[in-house]
Amino acid sequence: MSRALDSVRTRPYGIALAMALGLLIANVVARSSFATLSSWPATLATFAPFALAAMASTPAIISGGGGIDISIGPLLNLVNIVIVAVLIPHGLGSPWVAIPIALALGAAVGAVNGVLVTVFRYQSVLATLCTLFVLEGVSLKVVPQPTSGSAAWLTHLGAKIGPVPGALILIAAPLLVWIGLGRTAYLRSLFSVGGDDTASFSAGVNVTAVRILAFTIGGTFAGIAGIALAAVTQTADATQALQYTLPALAAVAIGGTSLLGGRGSLLGSVAGAAIMFLIQTLLDSLTVSDLWLQVVYGALLLLAIVLGSVLSAPHRTRAEPI
Amino acid sequence: MSETPPALAPSPAAPSQAQPARPILTVRELAKAFGPTRALRSCSFELRPGEVHAIVGENGSGKSTLVKILAGVHHPDEGEVTIADRVEVRRRSPRQAQNAGLVTVFQEVLVVGPQSVLDNIWLGTDGLFAVPISADDKRQRAQEALAELLVSPPSLDAPVELLSLSDRQACCIARALVRNPRVLILDESTSALDVATRDRLFAVVRRLCAGGGAVIFISHRMDEIEELADRITVLRSGESVATLKRGESNADLLVRHMTGEDHLTAGVEVLPPKARLRGDVLLRTEALKLHPTAEPIDIALRAGELIGLAGLEGHGADAFLQALRGAHSGQGRVLTGSGDRLTSPAQAVAAGVVYVPRDRRRESLFPTLPVLENFSLPTLRLDRNWGLVRWRATRTRLSRYAEQLAVRLASPTQLITALSGGNQQKIILARWLAAGPRVLLLNDPTRGVDLNAKRDLYRLLEQLATEGVAVVMLSTEVDEHVELMDRVLVFREGSISSVLEREQLGRARLISAFFGAPGGQDE
Repeated sequence: MSRALDSVRTRPYGIALAMALGLLIANVVARSSFATLSSWPATLATFAPFALAAMASTPAIISGGGGIDISIGPLLNLVNIVIVAVLIPHGLGSPWVAIPIALALGAAVGAVNGVLVTVFRYQSVLATLCTLFVLEGVSLKVVPQPTSGSAAWLTHLGAKIGPVPGALILIAAPLLVWIGLGRTAYLRSLFSVGGDDTASFSAGVNVTAVRILAFTIGGTFAGIAGIALAAVTQTADATQALQYTLPALAAVAIGGTSLLGGRGSLLGSVAGAAIMFLIQTLLDSLTVSDLWLQVVYGALLLLAIVLGSVLSAPHRTRAEPI
Repeated sequence: MSETPPALAPSPAAPSQAQPARPILTVRELAKAFGPTRALRSCSFELRPGEVHAIVGENGSGKSTLVKILAGVHHPDEGEVTIADRVEVRRRSPRQAQNAGLVTVFQEVLVVGPQSVLDNIWLGTDGLFAVPISADDKRQRAQEALAELLVSPPSLDAPVELLSLSDRQACCIARALVRNPRVLILDESTSALDVATRDRLFAVVRRLCAGGGAVIFISHRMDEIEELADRITVLRSGESVATLKRGESNADLLVRHMTGEDHLTAGVEVLPPKARLRGDVLLRTEALKLHPTAEPIDIALRAGELIGLAGLEGHGADAFLQALRGAHSGQGRVLTGSGDRLTSPAQAVAAGVVYVPRDRRRESLFPTLPVLENFSLPTLRLDRNWGLVRWRATRTRLSRYAEQLAVRLASPTQLITALSGGNQQKIILARWLAAGPRVLLLNDPTRGVDLNAKRDLYRLLEQLATEGVAVVMLSTEVDEHVELMDRVLVFREGSISSVLEREQLGRARLISAFFGAPGGQDE
């Protein structure tokens, strides 16, 4: 028992995952219909863009050096707009065309961010803020008015593909990519660079390439998030660009990833996003007054953060010889 | 094979004296400037297979720049590096330097804290995706490298941040060893090591040299250079001024080359011992136990004493020093002369017990602040006038100490990080001297400090003791204890294993006390 407890506490995502499970149960208790299987595809579809935005924000943060990508929100919204308002009306709405284009767009913007941060050495908050403005502007240029567009595969993704909720496939995709990367040298290098870039560089790690790739991977995940948003809304709306930016970063932190880099996990970010999402659905079920909703939401979030930091095993024990 | 001449020093160095072998590494007129600062002007030397080549010079003489160029961290402005007849490209990466067989252990302990020992040892050997060495192979070779360096190696899966400083540095050295270096560069790598590991490292160095490799060795410690180096190249203000052979060199000669002056012939020697009066008890311990099974410590520190804390790292000297500054949570008590119990560092400071930490960068400096603030923050209240700080008064105080400690200071508002290590340490000392201490606790204050600054510090400590301050200094350098201290407490396994008075002090005796061996002969 205590070993099981320890393995939860020492894993960066352990506490967040446990709290997400607890909140899931609380949701079912508060409203039993929450557990109804038929409602799951829709619930997951609403959750997916946010979870994916959190995952997309994770690699840049792990890569350290103050790495952070605040353009993820506008990027996923632009990908959504491109699918709904550009590709589908022009007859390019087939998944075999739309999905690669969405991923490539995300990767390209991520790579540009990575080059700005590493090669040109701009602070990543500044660099990605500039990208954020550009992406917002482009979005507004493409769809000055909200428009909608639909394709059969998008509808399926928003609901079910065979027996599996489409959103689940979208959320699983980055996790599978991440597991795959874990079998190569890349993830180890990423965490090393995030942990100490001087040590990594002098030991022979190509720090620049590792960081550019971190932003590129994040951008690609944002592409998947854009597909998830298109699936659930089937609407292109340029004003939606900023809704995910800060919550996604919060989800990453709640999920146990250090904003200083070098520690964290992708699964933690999903768990962090789930915590934030489930607190909201819980408050909905409890019909908390709209006037108090934000206050209670903020307070519960704070409680989750405090619990997480109290329960998790200490990151760093000072290595003083006794 | 060439015959080894009999009756030489017990070093397996110098494979063939008759004809020097073709150099394994040639450095020709390297130069490097950072903005207006010319860190390296013209550095040339040759490294022969089988030799240990020491590079010595004061702080700021260009040693670190030279190392970083060789390691591929910096790119030279001029000059060239040739490895086994192949001229290296000027803009090469650390990875390229390593592939050419040139592997460096840096002065800073460069580890990735959250990563495992294993990953730290193999850091930088993988491609972006490819893993060229199998996992089993990695474990085995890492284990071998660590076993060669450490008596009790840590688990390969432990996060490196949980290890002691010495073991972390051992991981950095193991990282170099698993790369099978042709040329190993050790840049002040011994200063973080405990004595046992250092001796094992020296054995590794000899093994590498016997196998036809070569080692570039940088150290501030004359005893290590004497023990290890076959030849010594002296750097002064970024230029290589001389290369001396073993036997031709001695400490005096080296110091003359390093400083370019003749009057400093004293070597590492300090002022002649003065008969100082031992005054009142300023601090004492009562049944202090550093860990539950250790012997209790009852000892009194008197005004005017210079007390050395010695012993292998991790054997209690550091913990004892922490206890004296009020940061002790175990059994026993630390009392001031007037009988007040010290239970917190803040209380200790208030009682005139000040502490200068070991890790300058992490525990002492405010690296983003100028010298003036670094000096004055704990004592700003002295310069208050109606609640406002009179910076002019602070400057006056600083300049007084700067003069007394011989700090070369361009301006009080320059960043403290722009000073050399020795001068940084002097400013930190000035910070605490300004508080008017009665007991001064120093944790290895001369680590990474050049010879001249060291001697300035010794002189200062002598003077403070004469003025009635009790100075307690932990040092990893045996010579400092032998030449400076009135009394040395040797720690072993958490207890004081022996107390040596000045007239009993000697290198062999002290070192044998480290290892708990009886006796030990001096002269």
